[in-house]
Amino acid sequence: MPDHAEDEAKYYDDPEWADIEPIQQADQGPNPLAAIAYTDEYAEAMAYLRTVMARDEKSERVLRLTKDVIEMNPAHYTVWLYRAQVLFATHADLHKELEWLNETASQYQKNYQIWHHRQLIVSRLCPDPASSAATRGPPFPGAGIDVDSLVAKETSFVASMFDKDAKNYHVWSYRQWLVRHFGLWDKGELEFTEASIEKDVRNNSAWNHRWYVVNGKEGSEGVKEEKVREREIAFTKRQIRLAPQNQSPWNYLRGILRKANLRFSTVQDFCIEFADLSKPEGDDVFSSHALDLLADIYAVDEGRNEQAKRCLLLLKDKYDPIRANYWQYRLEMLDKEMGSGIDSHLPEHETRNLTSAVSV
Amino acid sequence: MSLAAGPGRGHVAQGQLPEELKLVVDKHVAYIQSLDTRRDELEYHLTEHLRIGGIYWGLTALHLLGQPDALPRDGLVEYVLSCLHESGGFGAAPGHDAHILYTGYSVQILTMIDGFDALEEKMQGGKEKIAKFIANLQQPDGRFAGDEWGETDTRFLFSALYTLSLLGYMPHQRPDEPPIVDVPAATAHIKACHNFDGGFGVAPGAESHSGQVFTCVGALTVAGELDSYLGEEGKDRLGAWLSERQLGSGGLNGRPEKLVDVCYSWWVGASLAMIDRLHWLDKEKLTAFILQCQDPEEGGIADRPEDMVDVFHTVFGVAGLSLVGYPGVGEVDPA
Repeated sequence: MPDHAEDEAKYYDDPEWADIEPIQQADQGPNPLAAIAYTDEYAEAMAYLRTVMARDEKSERVLRLTKDVIEMNPAHYTVWLYRAQVLFATHADLHKELEWLNETASQYQKNYQIWHHRQLIVSRLCPDPASSAATRGPPFPGAGIDVDSLVAKETSFVASMFDKDAKNYHVWSYRQWLVRHFGLWDKGELEFTEASIEKDVRNNSAWNHRWYVVNGKEGSEGVKEEKVREREIAFTKRQIRLAPQNQSPWNYLRGILRKANLRFSTVQDFCIEFADLSKPEGDDVFSSHALDLLADIYAVDEGRNEQAKRCLLLLKDKYDPIRANYWQYRLEMLDKEMGSGIDSHLPEHETRNLTSAVSV
Repeated sequence: MSLAAGPGRGHVAQGQLPEELKLVVDKHVAYIQSLDTRRDELEYHLTEHLRIGGIYWGLTALHLLGQPDALPRDGLVEYVLSCLHESGGFGAAPGHDAHILYTGYSVQILTMIDGFDALEEKMQGGKEKIAKFIANLQQPDGRFAGDEWGETDTRFLFSALYTLSLLGYMPHQRPDEPPIVDVPAATAHIKACHNFDGGFGVAPGAESHSGQVFTCVGALTVAGELDSYLGEEGKDRLGAWLSERQLGSGGLNGRPEKLVDVCYSWWVGASLAMIDRLHWLDKEKLTAFILQCQDPEEGGIADRPEDMVDVFHTVFGVAGLSLVGYPGVGEVDPA
């Protein structure tokens, strides 16, 4: 362990910490794999942190210490967890903590810990939103937390994080938790997903969140309910028309049909808008996903197996060749149902003008 | 073991043709060996809380590259055991709290270096103690916490099951004893994370993500419930979602419309292997992509070409190559 230069020591020289004998890093042996070199400042702070954790000290100075360590190494997950415990034990102002988290959020975007920490704080501020301890509207002395205000602040903060990275997995998970904890199912979440999708129709996270908001509430029927289903199908179709070569809305559409137990053929005409194989001048395909769904639609209808086969061959050889083996599998499945031999190559006249796959 | 990035970068050597790309085994071995010497870098100790992870990744890569002894065994045994706690759990580094993830990595390391006798010498009944540490982390709803602090994540669930399996303490491995974990509850939680698009997320309702697909499918595999739960239809749907991760460059991404990253060669590849659909990937293109992510001069593999290499992407790139049968790379078990 390198000696600190006296003028560099922060805690060692601080009279407030004079009572602490810091625990040094244990592995001082000659084993090269185990010895660890530190920069002085971080080493010092960690030594003090180890010591106070061993003593289970939960005090104001530990709050300052944990903040220090976090700022030097926000990925160290234990320090966040300990800080939370100390905040609760010292009855610290949790609203101030949220404010600090807001300020430092942009530095910690990829950090998972900070979101779990936030969840702990918000849960503590409002463990049971439905209870009588939670008031609506401005608080009066002696009242509980103003839930509406907290929710508004949280959702607004989350939205601002999405401005920086609209697909941040941790932030979406946190938002889901907010929805579940505060029962925000009907409180603007649907509109929020719509706005996110409008900003970027290819944002898969936003589509997933929409599914959750529509179908995730315990006891709700989601898209099994006709009105909801109609609305969702209409929404999805609109988005597909804006960008037909986009996995998310097609997965979403399939999800709706499956959950509502509807035949895929109900959207057959819609698919043909993007994959019309009937034109004499040549295939008019600008969505491989439409072709994929058409293959499924035709496959269940015995009279149209040849059309299904045609779709799959086009996908395999022209529109999605990197997944050739997958399309081959689908052809073999079709073959099994048809009971006849499969000729797994495009007829020659179709290969003559092979262009690259539909741009993604 | 430094988890810091660099110094190399993924790239193709000047004038080299795509078909000439090959895995520079010796350079990667040297790279891994050098990681332990870089202790003057800040990142070395900032990543201390992941240290045993780094060792596990480095050692696994060495095994796959056919050089299992490139890191001295005695040093490994001593270090791993110095991370062991009375509770039976292992921390990421000496002095760090026990956690299920690092316990998993430690058990894997001990398995690879045949270190269980040494474990027994240090802690009598060690295997059982480790198993009990893990079992105690299971929550009433089947999930697993990572440690005493209680955060849950499907990664921890997978860690729990594969570690117990390696130790021989899964209920089906000890049918005459009362089960120490509730496997049905665990797998029920996994099933609740199954999404409308066929994939799996980190928690019920969370977006399907390749990393989570791996942990969920892995957990079901270890629990012996994969076939009964997914069936051929479920495997088809999941396989289709997974095969869509492959982009024109040959690389794989983690979710629709996201960037490729070499580590998904493993998460996606292993998942497909577990559901018997690995051939749905274009193996040649994937191989070429992985090789373009390596630094042929300094060794190491990066997340994508032009980025800096690190040990995490090195092991998952090599493991990806193993799955697709790259010559010279050892076989790997997907689960």
